[in-house]
Amino acid sequence: MQVEKFYYDNKIVRNFAYATILWGAVGMLVGLWIALQLVFPGPFPHGLNLAPWFNFGRLRPLHTNAVIFAFVGNGIFMGVYYSLQRLCKTRMFSDKLSYIHFWGWQLIIVAAAVTLPLGLTTGGEYAELIWPIDVAITVIWVVFGWNMFGTIIKRREKHLYVAIWFYIATFVTVAVLHIVRSGELPYTWLKSYSLYAGVQDALVQWWYGHNAVAFFLTTPYLGLMYYFLPKAANRPIYSYRLSIIHFWALIFLYIWAGPHHLLYTALPNWAQALGTVFSLMLIFPSWGGMINGLLTLRGAWDRVRDDVILKFMVVAVTAYGMATFEGPMLSLKSVSAISHYTDWIIAHVHIGALGWNGMLTFGVLYWIIPRIYKTDLYSKKLANVHFWLATLGILFYAIPMYWAGFQESSMWKQFTEAGQLKYTFLETVTYMKPFYAMRSFGGTLYLAGMVILVYNLYKTVKAGKLVANEAAEAAPLEKVFVAPKHEHWHRVIERKPVQFMVLSLVVILIGGLIELVPTFLIKSNVPTISSVKPYTPLELEGRDIYVREGCYLCHSQMIRPFRSETERYGEYSKAGEFVYDHPFQWGSKRIGPDLAREGSGNLKKSDGWHFRHFREPSSMSEGSIMPSYDFMLLNDLDTSDLSAKIHAMILLGVPYPANYEKDAMADLNIQAKEISDNLVGDSIRVSPRKEVIALIAYIQRLGTDIAKNPTATFNK
Amino acid sequence: MFTFIKQYAERIDGVHIYAFISLFIFFAFFVVLLVVVKKMGKERVEELSNIPLDQEELNQSNI
Repeated sequence: MQVEKFYYDNKIVRNFAYATILWGAVGMLVGLWIALQLVFPGPFPHGLNLAPWFNFGRLRPLHTNAVIFAFVGNGIFMGVYYSLQRLCKTRMFSDKLSYIHFWGWQLIIVAAAVTLPLGLTTGGEYAELIWPIDVAITVIWVVFGWNMFGTIIKRREKHLYVAIWFYIATFVTVAVLHIVRSGELPYTWLKSYSLYAGVQDALVQWWYGHNAVAFFLTTPYLGLMYYFLPKAANRPIYSYRLSIIHFWALIFLYIWAGPHHLLYTALPNWAQALGTVFSLMLIFPSWGGMINGLLTLRGAWDRVRDDVILKFMVVAVTAYGMATFEGPMLSLKSVSAISHYTDWIIAHVHIGALGWNGMLTFGVLYWIIPRIYKTDLYSKKLANVHFWLATLGILFYAIPMYWAGFQESSMWKQFTEAGQLKYTFLETVTYMKPFYAMRSFGGTLYLAGMVILVYNLYKTVKAGKLVANEAAEAAPLEKVFVAPKHEHWHRVIERKPVQFMVLSLVVILIGGLIELVPTFLIKSNVPTISSVKPYTPLELEGRDIYVREGCYLCHSQMIRPFRSETERYGEYSKAGEFVYDHPFQWGSKRIGPDLAREGSGNLKKSDGWHFRHFREPSSMSEGSIMPSYDFMLLNDLDTSDLSAKIHAMILLGVPYPANYEKDAMADLNIQAKEISDNLVGDSIRVSPRKEVIALIAYIQRLGTDIAKNPTATFNK
Repeated sequence: MFTFIKQYAERIDGVHIYAFISLFIFFAFFVVLLVVVKKMGKERVEELSNIPLDQEELNQSNI
């Protein structure tokens, strides 16, 4: 058959590579900045908090979103656009779609970088972006999928290599996750409330959150590993058979891992045991991937010593193995009791992000750039320096955080012989400071390595010339393909991308639906606690400020049923307390104390205390690392959306009286006046129109419902 | 943790069936997959795993 000549599009690969480097540096820099904010918490220039835009609570989502969706996201596209063309022996389906995809994704990132510091957020971790950006993500994701499937369909290689399966599964699953998590009811052009409330919102969130890790940070990078590791090692993958089992088992099991962590403790004991088995089973496909990667280097380990790209890849795959062993362990109830809310989790995710994603991205960048510029890497020595800085950076980051996590947990749980809690929460916070400083040092090393990469690749690019259209030749596929006799079904679907996609979709939907059906049934099974009432208009405004400032990133609102927690924070949290919480605000990390009962019992403080605390936290809690929120004392509360907010809440099923939109403003003013008058007693004169009044109203409401009447009645 | 939800989830009629169904589906799927993989021909496996390497740049030296 006549060979056809065609050209690979390297320009799009170059663009995504540059974007990966740029946003990687930005994401890491913001990460380092927020790490240092915990060491130097005061307002600028005494500390590193630049209120309001660059306070910890607003920058932390910027860090996570930048690293996940900008750095790793562009890294995925760089690797996919390079490898997919070569694995399919064809140019990308459409240069125009590639162009739209690239610039659309960068615009989304810029929009995120602008909106998050402005406090425009939905308040769900890793899904903070506001609804218009969510819509844009959906459109651009479809463009990516269209371009990818177009390329696969016009390919000249009959079989879809394992890397492409991972790309397909990524595309399908991220689409499903994004659509379900982005279920929001917009009430203005920029703002919305989650369709789900309380427990249901939490279950959707962690079904999304964990699978974002699975299908954005893991499966596409496994695809890259299956392509670039054999290329760099110049030998085929260790076991193709293992890759088939690894792939299907991984995508089937992973989708379970999110709400699963929440749900299995909610089920009877035998079901909890079954759930634990499922979590533990996830180790096998994960380690199948790690083993497949590492054993690809069998007999070539001597090359790892000399080849810096292989070094990056080996550390990446090893970090993947560590993180995927640790993950199932963390989902054991007894381990979770210790690790949850602590810096242990921060260490765990950074083994994944810095180790697995970061190191693999660096390896791929050092491999791709010289090739598309038809030159050699400027300096192997500098790449080696980068490797050691990054590796040491990971260790200096992770070890203090693991240590801090154990310390935190044990200090939170310790009692004196007299039966009192041994440490105040503030003592545990100040104890953490040296660990936060050491972690920042690790982050600095890692970022320094990134700077070296930028210099090294800049010099490489200068020395070469981009081969924008790289010539290649391959025979076209036969029009009529005669399948060999007795062919296995897996080989058949390996030729049929659309069927492959459908099968992947079915596999992830089985896990997803079995998870989500009980999730949605829970709504009708959450007990109504008669004393739990909707938020007053002022409290609702205050709650929106709480979400805007990212308070949930440091404060949980979820008291677990442990003596150490009920002693410190009061009665453990009940599902029925959250039925009007759109979105839920349980949080996942306690840099500050839990606030679920901040307005009731022993924890209740005066309005004046909160006022002074927001103005300067350390004046009321010496040693506090919370940023100052003095701008709320000056800013007028914007109530222009109040009736739209109440209307949206009514649509979501919150039982406000009919037509309450009209009366809400009057009620808000009355309550604000009460708090303002109350503050006069504390020698504080402040207008009832200020933002701080609304936030005080919300904080003082927390935990008060159940204190009035803790008896629950089921609506069944 | 989250034992506080336990009592409510327990009230879902036949909730245990979800866990059983999922385990059964996974187990069946996994067994079929093992059989399929086991029956794959050695030459085919070799051919497939060489797909990424079957190119000109194969001979380019690594940096």
